[in-house]
Amino acid sequence: MARRFDYFLRETVSGLRRNGLVTFAAVSTVFISLFLGGGALLINRQANLMLEFTTNKVEVAVYLEDGISLDQQNRIQGILNRLPEVASVDYESKEEAYGRFKVLFANQPDLVLNVSADALPASFRVKLADPEKFESVRAVLQGEPGIEKISDQRELLRQFFAIANVFKFGVGAVAIIMLVSASGLIANTVRMALFARRKEIGIMKLVGATNWFIRVPFLIEGMVQGLIGAGAAVVGLFVIKLGFVDPLRNQIGFVPILRNADMMFAVPILLGVGVLVAGVASLIAMRRFLDV
Amino acid sequence: MIKVDHVTKVYKSSVVALDDVEVEINKGEFVFLVGPSGSGKSTFIRLLLKEEEPTRGAIYVAGKNIGNLSTWKVPYLRRNIGCVFQDFKLLAERTVFQNVAFALEVIGKAKQVIDQRVPEILDLVGLGDKLNNFPDELSGGEQQRVSIARAFVNRPLILLADEPTGNLDPSTSVDIMKLLDRINRIGTTVLMATHDNAIVDAMRRRVIELEAGKVIRDQARGVYGYGT
Repeated sequence: MARRFDYFLRETVSGLRRNGLVTFAAVSTVFISLFLGGGALLINRQANLMLEFTTNKVEVAVYLEDGISLDQQNRIQGILNRLPEVASVDYESKEEAYGRFKVLFANQPDLVLNVSADALPASFRVKLADPEKFESVRAVLQGEPGIEKISDQRELLRQFFAIANVFKFGVGAVAIIMLVSASGLIANTVRMALFARRKEIGIMKLVGATNWFIRVPFLIEGMVQGLIGAGAAVVGLFVIKLGFVDPLRNQIGFVPILRNADMMFAVPILLGVGVLVAGVASLIAMRRFLDV
Repeated sequence: MIKVDHVTKVYKSSVVALDDVEVEINKGEFVFLVGPSGSGKSTFIRLLLKEEEPTRGAIYVAGKNIGNLSTWKVPYLRRNIGCVFQDFKLLAERTVFQNVAFALEVIGKAKQVIDQRVPEILDLVGLGDKLNNFPDELSGGEQQRVSIARAFVNRPLILLADEPTGNLDPSTSVDIMKLLDRINRIGTTVLMATHDNAIVDAMRRRVIELEAGKVIRDQARGVYGYGT
């Protein structure tokens, strides 16, 4: 077994060196593709972080009129509690609203000074079992006395999400196209490696090497290309994050920004996709060009 | 050892390479397969290696019908059949030792086995002092010896030789034949395709002659042409 490993290692290294330029093209395409794909994942992650922070996972805010009676308030709370669409209801007093306001606008002290707790409405913060069910909740509460306004919190972030989605899907689509061409390039390097070693392969078949023994070095060669590209993409994303995203943290302190720990989830995905796609591309190339 | 049972091979272009061929070769025999180019000698050899399938008929190697062999078992069939060719098929960037070791390496033999058996077999073919030479430093006859060593290092039951002397001068050819004869005497069945009549006449072994895909002669102690 050790001898076999030694053999595979030698063959892989010599194969990668032989086709230097083509290998570079394949690896760099994997890099670009997974860098963009990882970027899309992280944009998505960042958008979710901001959503969670801003709305505290609350989908609906029912703002109450200042002069609301306790009876009316209890009645509204009762209705909300009975609705199957509602997961939970919390009352937020004017003081609590002011506390949250101060945190949100911590870097704009003038604004905080000019607003008092009294200027902010009390509200029920409603979490929905299904975030899409806002309209049905509003329909039920419509016309209840004491309600000033029912607002869909996600609406507030709609524009932000529209932009994030354009980035996410746009970048994601480019990443997928690049991934397809990356697998084509990897298949091509495998094909070239097969061609360069056709005489050895012929002899191997003749003396009774099994198909898998013949294929494994080429498969590893392809997968190593995928792995190197994916590894470079991971490094690239961390570099971008350290160089460009982290400095933003000091400028916009009130919004949560992707931390290193938030990025870790993308690492196994990128490495896995890189290796898997490269492996499949190599196997397809071998099916087509290796007559065993 | 080898039984070719009413085998016909027709290529896509409707060329009939073998036409109802029936041959049985026993263990330990030395057989010449003769006939002009295009008579079906190479097809015969390719069928034994299961590089191609017969159109009709069955082929038995060591008692097994190789037509029933699944694809993944073909390598194990080939481990029992050594092959030698006119063009040697040596790897130029590997030494004599490495060329022979390659055959054992790729079927997963342990390093100790390789280090022991390769010098042994190279000694047998008379190249014990050229382990570290590269093929292009050797004469044609020596290269063919390396290729025979590679075919034989795994001790196959059968040795197939397709025109092994085709690129060699007559005196070198005689040396190669002596070597093949020696391998045959160890107990290996040898089947050699050739159109070198001097060799066939000198050896006086069994001769199977093909013409246009048919066996037209099968003679126990034959010569290349007709007659005794």
